[in-house]
Amino acid sequence: MSTALDAPRISRRHSLPLIWIVPLIALAVGGWMVFREFRHRGPEITIEFPEGKGVEARKTAVEYSGVTVGTVLAVDLKEDLNGVRVTVRLEKNAASLAREGAQFWIVHPEIGLTGVRGIETLFTGARINVRPGKGEPATEFRGLPKAPPLENVDDGRAFVLQADRLGSMSPGAPVFYREVKVGVVETSRLDHDAASVLIRIRIKTPYIELVRTHTRFWNAGGVSFKMNLLGAEVKSTSLESLFTGGVAFATPDAIAPAAPDGTLFTLHPEMDKDWLKWQPRIRIIPPDEAPDPTSLRGPLAPLVKP
Amino acid sequence: MMTRAAYLRTTHLSRAAALALAAAVMLVPANVLPVLSTNTGGMARTDTIMSGIVGLWHDGMWAIAAIVFAASILIPLLKLVGLAWLLIAVRRRSTHQRRGLTKLYNVLDLIGRWSMLDVFLVAFLAGAVQFGALATIEPRAGIVAFAAAVVLTVLATDAFEPKLLWADAAARPRHPEVAS
Repeated sequence: MSTALDAPRISRRHSLPLIWIVPLIALAVGGWMVFREFRHRGPEITIEFPEGKGVEARKTAVEYSGVTVGTVLAVDLKEDLNGVRVTVRLEKNAASLAREGAQFWIVHPEIGLTGVRGIETLFTGARINVRPGKGEPATEFRGLPKAPPLENVDDGRAFVLQADRLGSMSPGAPVFYREVKVGVVETSRLDHDAASVLIRIRIKTPYIELVRTHTRFWNAGGVSFKMNLLGAEVKSTSLESLFTGGVAFATPDAIAPAAPDGTLFTLHPEMDKDWLKWQPRIRIIPPDEAPDPTSLRGPLAPLVKP
Repeated sequence: MMTRAAYLRTTHLSRAAALALAAAVMLVPANVLPVLSTNTGGMARTDTIMSGIVGLWHDGMWAIAAIVFAASILIPLLKLVGLAWLLIAVRRRSTHQRRGLTKLYNVLDLIGRWSMLDVFLVAFLAGAVQFGALATIEPRAGIVAFAAAVVLTVLATDAFEPKLLWADAAARPRHPEVAS
């Protein structure tokens, strides 16, 4: 039989570690909670903006493709008072956005002729959008003063049109081929000698083969209104181009080489009736947004590249 | 060598100390992690306890900020410090200030439950403010840690026996009034 002296010593050894499991569990659970929270933290970056209208610390989100990828931690005035410096904490899975050449801009609600952009920021306040860079990872960026012209500008082929006057052409205006929208107007500016206007357009990748060195461009914007003894005729390529202006082009039947990137063309103020009769057969890669491919079976099928 | 009283003393002491330590550990995630994220009209913000208090203070709600500060930061901290003090006093078999320490224990026991104010507040807000796209409030991990810390503190206070302060009082023919 054990004596009364032995028993407490044994039970003491047992009772001591048992309850001390509780702080150990607390440590494990607490540590896991903190780890889980910090695991999603990505790098901290700073962006300089000319102005920080609507950007608020800990409220403004950074979005990419419509998904929140970071939050503004702080908004400070730059030392030289020439703009603001925004500190952003990115999420871990968005860390690769922060590379050299990344573009950041502040999105405000914008209502223009080319459409309504960022309307949701009316309610949510401003937010910062990002277009990823391709260079080395970086932590300091210079933000854009306003949204870059258009999303996905990096595909397709750009051409420059020279015109006497800008007309009602605005960025985002459509470019038509046979009244199908195949590109957009990107920017416009006066030529160096101010003798003409240069308009840069971009043709989407599937249609770049349509632009040949001898292609003719004309201003398809606005509305043409003709009235004579036989009646009146109102012509507009599309409702969109009625407001924003637009460009149309036609390629002659005689095949010429495809125009390289940046080719300069003359933008004719009006089209020639003959241009509409041109019907060159040019193979294009059908774009994804084409109508249901099954409906294109039949006579159209031979033109479609497999 | 151990008497039954000594055995009980060790058990109570270590139980209280372990629970208090666990509570102290849980206070770290409770204060570091966000407790609440609100989304009102698309304006999203995530708050830790401290940032919430600072926010209330900046918005001019000083009284509420003070109450929240007292209930969520001051009281849990004071409770743990007080508990640690009691535990150390018992461990050292100190006969000093027994009366005051007993009073401290009673106070700790009383104020402990008020710390749950935060948890109730978050639970209430999260339940009440669910207007879909307009406004939603979501509890975050921090509030769980905070609730755990409060519960553990209450358990630690319960595990502590104020009798232990007076354990040797019966043995010694000395009056507690004199001792304090």
